Amino acid sequence: MDHFAVTNLTFAYAEDAPPIFQELTFAPEPGTFNLLTGPSGSGKSTLLKLLAGLYPQYGGVIQSGQVTVNDTEISTLQPFQRAAHVAMLFQNPSRQFAMRTVLEQLQFALANLQLSPPEIDRRIQTVLTDLHLTQFTHRALETLSGGEQQRVALASVLALGSSLILLDEPFANVDAAGRTQLLADLKTLQRTQHKTIILADHDLSGYAGLVDQLYHVDGTQRTLLQESPAALPATTPATPVQGQPLTTGPLAWHDLSLTVGDRPLITAAQFTLPASQLGLLSGDNGAGKSTLFAALTRQRRYAGDIRYQDRPAKQYKLKQWALQVAEVYQNSPDQFIRIQASDELALSAQHSLHPTYWTAERIAQAAARLNLAAVLDHVSYALSGGQQKKLQVLSMLIMGQPVLLLDEPFAGLDQASLQAVLTLLQQTIHDLQLSALVVSHQRQGVVSFMDYELHLADQQLQLIAGEAA
Amino acid sequence: MTQTADTPRGLNAATLTLIMIGIGFPLTFAQSVWLNTIVAGLGLLYLIALRVSWRKVSLILLIALPLAFGSWISFWFFGTVDRWHLAWMYGSRVYAYLLLGMIVTMTVSTQRWLVSLHLHFHLPNAFVFGLLGALNMADRVRHEFRRIQYSALMRGENLRLWNPLLYLRIVLVSLNWSNDLAEAMTSQGFTENAPRTELIADPMPAWQWGLAGGLIVIYCAAAFGLRPW
Repeated sequence: MDHFAVTNLTFAYAEDAPPIFQELTFAPEPGTFNLLTGPSGSGKSTLLKLLAGLYPQYGGVIQSGQVTVNDTEISTLQPFQRAAHVAMLFQNPSRQFAMRTVLEQLQFALANLQLSPPEIDRRIQTVLTDLHLTQFTHRALETLSGGEQQRVALASVLALGSSLILLDEPFANVDAAGRTQLLADLKTLQRTQHKTIILADHDLSGYAGLVDQLYHVDGTQRTLLQESPAALPATTPATPVQGQPLTTGPLAWHDLSLTVGDRPLITAAQFTLPASQLGLLSGDNGAGKSTLFAALTRQRRYAGDIRYQDRPAKQYKLKQWALQVAEVYQNSPDQFIRIQASDELALSAQHSLHPTYWTAERIAQAAARLNLAAVLDHVSYALSGGQQKKLQVLSMLIMGQPVLLLDEPFAGLDQASLQAVLTLLQQTIHDLQLSALVVSHQRQGVVSFMDYELHLADQQLQLIAGEAA
Repeated sequence: MTQTADTPRGLNAATLTLIMIGIGFPLTFAQSVWLNTIVAGLGLLYLIALRVSWRKVSLILLIALPLAFGSWISFWFFGTVDRWHLAWMYGSRVYAYLLLGMIVTMTVSTQRWLVSLHLHFHLPNAFVFGLLGALNMADRVRHEFRRIQYSALMRGENLRLWNPLLYLRIVLVSLNWSNDLAEAMTSQGFTENAPRTELIADPMPAWQWGLAGGLIVIYCAAAFGLRPW
């Protein structure tokens, strides 16, 4: 049984940067299931990467203290030695594979440990059987769903024989069924093979009764606080949206179907996005919400009919379409096309579809309300996660396309910022009569601004709050 | 079960690479129409012997035709001495290069090619697996490219191929992806310059070294000794 320990650790991203952790001491009990929580950007990933020995190899500086496995400093071990003790599952399932197929991926991992070919075969057979993955042996990884990819990653970790399994937001691209299965697999591994599991997640639902220890990363004290697992919420019903009578609008889709490989995601959906109203698009991770947005912005193939003002989407040039249907991207850097924050806003103002509404004064006011005024001379990419979100939303509101799709625009926002963004969003949409549809896993503080809710589950897109016109 | 890469047919990928470079390089300095034709012809015979899809081969040869013709015509029009010879030499050289490349790319998979270069020419593993990982991401790179273009169109700008901003964004995305992949590979035990189990057997019999060396020597002797037309 391996013993891991973090002792008096002070860690920063650079020699002269403020530390992320200060004098942190933490030792997971062997054979336990630990949940690590905290807002995004608080340092959950950093702690996991320190335990995995990826930091400081891939960045940052240990200013004092150490991270050890069985009293040996983990950063002094070679990667192939570390892998036998600790391995990690990453947030982006598809970016953790070097090889094309499931079998090649497992062989790659085991060959790194310099095992003999028969031993490699034996271990692969065992883990594939244990995790019920044998039917995927020769499948190309890119054709698997997010949940299946994470189970293959878990199979690699298991085959390597690591006793500590780290998971960094592993469900970000995994649907509910995949999540349930992965959690069940993890629990079994903990019980039968006494694996130690540390899982980082900002969403606490579904963990009650499953975890032994609950830790909270405290960004202000730069340390880890232990909490009682009894504090974990039982599944509570989601706050409902108070649906309003819906208006009509320019963008509509009929009989819309989307697939990933040969897997159907959405079947025969139809809806008209109402103008001057703000809608919530809900559904599990991996259900196809971002894919729907990608189809509406003509970034991927679809079957069926998407129309703008009763003309099929394909009759518009992409250049025209982009000035009708805009998206606030989930990944902020995807949005920026200038270096400095003020230039982003200036560019939007220059090409705005509502130049009389967005006067210089109104833009300055909006930036001030979003608390962005002081950082406008900064490089956009260097802003904090929350500031980037606010900059994205404001730039797109200034553009003022008739249809605005927002993919997780509230991630990393504190309560005050959330309120400010939603108020600005609602006001602009009313003033300019825009149709807006929001994907947000966070409902608290959000639903009261919403006029309707579309729910995506089991390939069906349904209006669950709001009265169709 | 450990044999994952395609079962190889024909010559070893390393042999073919050696022939491609070993003949391709002196071919740049050789001045012979005949030798160009022989190299291209032998390459074509090899492809036919391995039953490579003739439709694909014809298509590639057809696509190269304007290039070969362009070389031919520019030397024929603008040449001052020996126009006929120079025109045909540069025209046939396009096909000699093309066929030399095709004997490698059309008979060997990328994975086998990289593994073979690793085993026989000591290409570092980090390079082999980094490149494989990158190639497996090709589809997502295309997707990302469209997304970057759309993000600009939404703001009333068209990022054309020559706009440096497009590359700034692509570089940022690539850095992120390559860092994620590198961390994941490290977590899976990949260690630069450490020995790994070699799961793919890629025999390179001595006669193939001999064949490659022999062909290169014969070519050089013919090109720089005999100097046919």
